[in-house]
Amino acid sequence: MAGVNAHDPERQETVSRRTVLLGGGVSLLFGGVAARLYQLQIADHQKYLDLAQENQFNRRVLTPLRGEIVDRFGGPLASNRKNFRVLLVPEQARDVDAILDKINKITPVSEDKRARVMREIRRRGAFTPVQIADNLSWEDFSKLNFELPHLSGVLPDVGETRDYPYGADAAFVVGYVGAVTERDLSAQESDEDRVLLRQPGFKVGREGLERTYEDELRGEAGVMNVKINAHGRVIEEMVDSAVPPSQGRTLTLTIDSELQAHAMKVLAEPTPGVDQDTQSAAAVVMDVITGDILVLASTPAFNPNDFNVGIDPDLWRDLNASPYKPLLNKPLSGVYPPGSTFKVISAVAAQRAGVKPNHSVHCSGRVWYGNRYFHCWKRGGHGHVDMKNSLKHSCDVFYYDIAKTLEIDLLADTARKFGLGQTYELGIPGQQRGVVPDRDWKREYFAGNPAQQPWFQGETLSCIIGQGYVTSTPLQLAVMSARVATGKAVRPRLVRAVGDLVLPAPEAPLIDVDQDYLAVVRAGMNAVTNEYGTAARSRLEDPDWQMAGKTGTSQVYAITAEDRAHGLAKPEDLPWARRDHALFVSYMPFENPRYACAVVVEHGIGGARAAGPKARDIMKVVAEKDPASRTPLDPRTLARASGVREG
Amino acid sequence: MAIILPGRRRGVRDKLSRLHWPLIILLTMIAGAGVVTLYSVAEGNWEPWAIKHGLRYLAALGILAGVAMVPIRYWMALAYPTYFAALFALALVPFIGEVNMGARRWIEFGGLQFQPSEAMKIGLVLGLARYYHSLRAEQVSHILYLIPPALMVGAPVGLIFIQPDLGTALLLAATGAIMIFVAGLSWRIGFLGILGGVAAGYAAYRFDILKEYQLRRITTFLDPERDPLGQGYHLLQSKTGIGSGGLTGKGFMEGTQAQLKFLPEMQTDFIFTVFGEEFGFVGAIGLLLVYLAVIFVGLSIAMQSKLHFARMMAVGVVATFTLYVLINTGMVMGLAPVVGVPLPLVSYGGTVMLTIMAGFGLVMSAHVHRDQDMYRSGDSL
Repeated sequence: MAGVNAHDPERQETVSRRTVLLGGGVSLLFGGVAARLYQLQIADHQKYLDLAQENQFNRRVLTPLRGEIVDRFGGPLASNRKNFRVLLVPEQARDVDAILDKINKITPVSEDKRARVMREIRRRGAFTPVQIADNLSWEDFSKLNFELPHLSGVLPDVGETRDYPYGADAAFVVGYVGAVTERDLSAQESDEDRVLLRQPGFKVGREGLERTYEDELRGEAGVMNVKINAHGRVIEEMVDSAVPPSQGRTLTLTIDSELQAHAMKVLAEPTPGVDQDTQSAAAVVMDVITGDILVLASTPAFNPNDFNVGIDPDLWRDLNASPYKPLLNKPLSGVYPPGSTFKVISAVAAQRAGVKPNHSVHCSGRVWYGNRYFHCWKRGGHGHVDMKNSLKHSCDVFYYDIAKTLEIDLLADTARKFGLGQTYELGIPGQQRGVVPDRDWKREYFAGNPAQQPWFQGETLSCIIGQGYVTSTPLQLAVMSARVATGKAVRPRLVRAVGDLVLPAPEAPLIDVDQDYLAVVRAGMNAVTNEYGTAARSRLEDPDWQMAGKTGTSQVYAITAEDRAHGLAKPEDLPWARRDHALFVSYMPFENPRYACAVVVEHGIGGARAAGPKARDIMKVVAEKDPASRTPLDPRTLARASGVREG
Repeated sequence: MAIILPGRRRGVRDKLSRLHWPLIILLTMIAGAGVVTLYSVAEGNWEPWAIKHGLRYLAALGILAGVAMVPIRYWMALAYPTYFAALFALALVPFIGEVNMGARRWIEFGGLQFQPSEAMKIGLVLGLARYYHSLRAEQVSHILYLIPPALMVGAPVGLIFIQPDLGTALLLAATGAIMIFVAGLSWRIGFLGILGGVAAGYAAYRFDILKEYQLRRITTFLDPERDPLGQGYHLLQSKTGIGSGGLTGKGFMEGTQAQLKFLPEMQTDFIFTVFGEEFGFVGAIGLLLVYLAVIFVGLSIAMQSKLHFARMMAVGVVATFTLYVLINTGMVMGLAPVVGVPLPLVSYGGTVMLTIMAGFGLVMSAHVHRDQDMYRSGDSL
C-alpha cells in the first residue's frame, strides 16, 4: 500500500522539518537585510545624508576670453572688459516674476527685457542659467549681493564682455559680436562647441573681422567640476582638477588706430560753404610698398558697443533708415563712378594704344561725336592740351578725342591691371567688385536685350572719363594710386598676424605695362597739386612730403535746361542725393612714394572742393607720423594672458 | 458549515470562504506600497506607473482567485505538461526568439510577446513538486532518483544561461535546490552538491571554459549600463538614497535622490531605494516584515497541506518569491551584485506581477484544497 497511497508520515515529517528550517534560514537572511538597513539608515545615516546633500557633481564649462584685435602697434581695437551681471536659474527661482520685480528695484529690468528673459527660459529649460541683467555698476552689483539671501535662484557673476575702445571710429574695421542664434548652434560641428555657445551671455562674431576670424578669436573652453548641493547651489569648485580655458588668438592688424581716428574726424568735417549735418564719406590710406591698410574710414558709422549688449530696436531702425547708410562699409562696399580719377588709367591706356605723351588736342569745351555733343567740365575749353596737362587740368575733351578710336577692351584691361573690378582678401565680408566694362561684360549684362549687346564707341567716350558703366570702390581707388606710384601690382592687406603667426606681405610684381608710360601720369598728378592744377589748394607744403593727386567729380544727375529755367544755378541748390560725388586719389612723397590715399565724399559736389582737402588733412598727419618708419608690434611678444582690461 | 469529508468536492462559495484572506491582505499591502512609491517616483502623478500598477494588481488578484478555485488535482495533472511546454518554449528561443538588448529571451506567440523563462518559474515548481509527490521518503536521497530532478533543473537553467540571462538562471537553480532540500535530500549529498557547484563555477571561470564573448555577455548582464563606472555610481547613489532616509525617512515625495533623478530605474529595480529614502528605516523594516509575513503564511500553508504535491509546490513558490525579495533588497544596498531583479509586487512590470500572483494562486489552491490527498500516481483517493 505504501507504494500506492500517497500518505507517507515520514515524508510529511521531513518536509515539515525542512520547511521550518527554511523559514529559519529565510528569517536569518531577512535579519541580514535588516542589519544592512540599520547600518545604512541609522549607523551611517549622517554620512549618506551629507552625500545626498553635497555629492552631486556638476561639470561647469569655463568660458574662454575672446582674442583681442590690435592695431599695428599693439593698441587694442577690440578687447574684453569685466561685466558684472546677474544670472537666474529658473528651476530654483520658482516665481521668476517676483524675483524680477525685486531685481528691478536694484537695477532696471525693462518690460522688453522681461519678455526676452521669459522667452529664453521657455527655450532653454528650467535648469540652464539665463542672463537677466548685465553691465551693472559696482554699487548695484554690491547691493544685489547684499540682497542675495532673499533672491533664490539668482547668481551674481562676473563675466567678460567685448569692448571696442575706438567705438564708431573702428567699427568697419573690426565689426562686432552678437548673441548666439539657433542658426549658430546648428552650424557648430562638435557638442563641446554647442555647450560653449549655450553659456549665458556668450557672443559670437557677427560682422567684419569678428565674424571672419571667429574660429581664431573664440579660444578653447575649459572645464571644472563643481559640487552642487541638493538645492543646486555650488558649494565647492574642484579647482585642482579643472582644465583652464585658453584665450582666443590675437589678431594684429595693419591699421594705425591714431590715424584711423584722425581720418574719421576729418571725414566728418563739413565742406565749407555747404550746409549739411552729416558727411557721408570714405577714406583709405595704404602703404604702397607692403599693401598695409593704415586707415579704413567710413562715415557716418555705428558704435559696435551698442551691438555688443543687444542693440536697441529704435537705434537699429534709425541706422537702417538713414540716407547716409551708417551700416554700409563704404570703402569696401560703396561703389561710385570714379570720374576723372579714372584718367590716370585712361592716360596709360592711351599710350598703350600708341598715343605719345606730347600728343596735343585742342579743347574748345565740347566735341561732336555720333549724334551729340560731349562737354568738357570747363565750358570755355582748355585750348591746346597735352597728356600731362590733360591730367593737371582734368580736360575731358583730350580724352574724348582719344576715345574716338580707343578699343574699350584695352581700356578695361588697363583698369584691371591697376586694381579695379576685383575684390581683395581682407577678411571683411561684403566687398563689392564694381564694374570695369568691356565687350564681354556688355554682352552678358544685356543678355535679355540683343540690340544693346554690341559696344558703341560713344560709350567709350563716357567710360574714359570714369563715367558711364564704370564703377569702383574707394579701396580700389587707393590700390590704383599705389600701383601708379610704384608701378607694382600692390595688393592691400588688413591682417598682419594671427596669434604669433606673422603673415607675409603679399607679392607685388611689376605691372605688365611699359613702366615708361607711368612717368607722364605721375608728372600730371604732381602738377594737379603742386603746379597749380585742379587741386592746388590741397598741396602739402613740406618739401619732403610732396603729394601727387588727381581729382574726380562723378555725375549723379545731369542738370537740365529745365532746371536752369527754374533758377537752379549752383550744384548746392540740388537736393543732397542728386549732387555729384567728390573723389580724390593721391600718393606721397612724389619722389619716393610710400603712402597712397583715396577719399570719396558722397554727393560732395566737387573733388577739388570736398575730397582733396580731406585727403590733404589726412595725409598731412600721415606724413607727420610716418607710421611705416616705426617698428610695428612683434606679435611673438604678445603676452598670452593679456586677459581682461580694467575699466 | 457542514462537516466536509476529505476528498469531497466543494462548491465555489465554499472555496471562496476557504481562501486565506490574511494572505490576500498582506499581498495587497505590498502592492499598495508599490502604488504609493510609483506615484512618488512620477513626481506626484498617477501616470505613467502608479495607476497601471494598481489596476494590474487587481487583475492579477482575479487570476490568483481563479487559480485557487481550480481543483488541485487539475494542477497536479497539468504539472508535467506545464513544465515540458515551458521547456519546449525555452528550447525554441534560440531559433525563433526576439533579440532585445543583446539577449534572446522573448518569443512571439499568437501576436503576444511571451517570455518562456518566466513561465518556467511556475513550470519548474510544478514539475519538481509533481516529481517528489511520486517518491517515497527513502528514495529522495537515492542517487538514481536524484538524476531526474537534476535534469529537470539543469535543462532550463542551461537554456536560460545561454540566452544569456544569468540572474533568472541562478534564481531557477536556487529555487530547484531549495525544493530538493525541502523534499528531504540528505545533508551529506546536499553539502557535496553545494561543493560541486562552487567548484564547477570556479573552474568555468578559472579555466576559460566560457568563451570571451560569453564572459562579455555575462558582464553585460551584470552591468546593464555597460559602463564600468556606471554600476558603482548607481550603487553609491542607491546607498546614499537609502542611508539619507534615516530612521523615519524624508517623507512622501521628499526624497532628493529620487526626485532629483540621481537614481536609475527608479520605477523597477531601484524602487526599494526610493521607498527607503522616503519612509526611512521604520518604513523599510515594516515592508520587510510584511514580506516575511507572506513567506511565513506560505510556508505554513505548505505544512498544513495533506497533499505532498501541494506542500512542495507551495514551498517552491515561496522560495522563488523569497529569492526575489532578498536579491533585490540586497542588490540596492550593495549586498548582492546588480542583476536586474525586481522587488515583487512593488516594482513596475506586468510579467513578474503575473508570475508572482499566479504562483500565489497555486499556494492559495493548496490552502483551499488542504484536506485533499491523492495517490502517488496522481489519482484521487
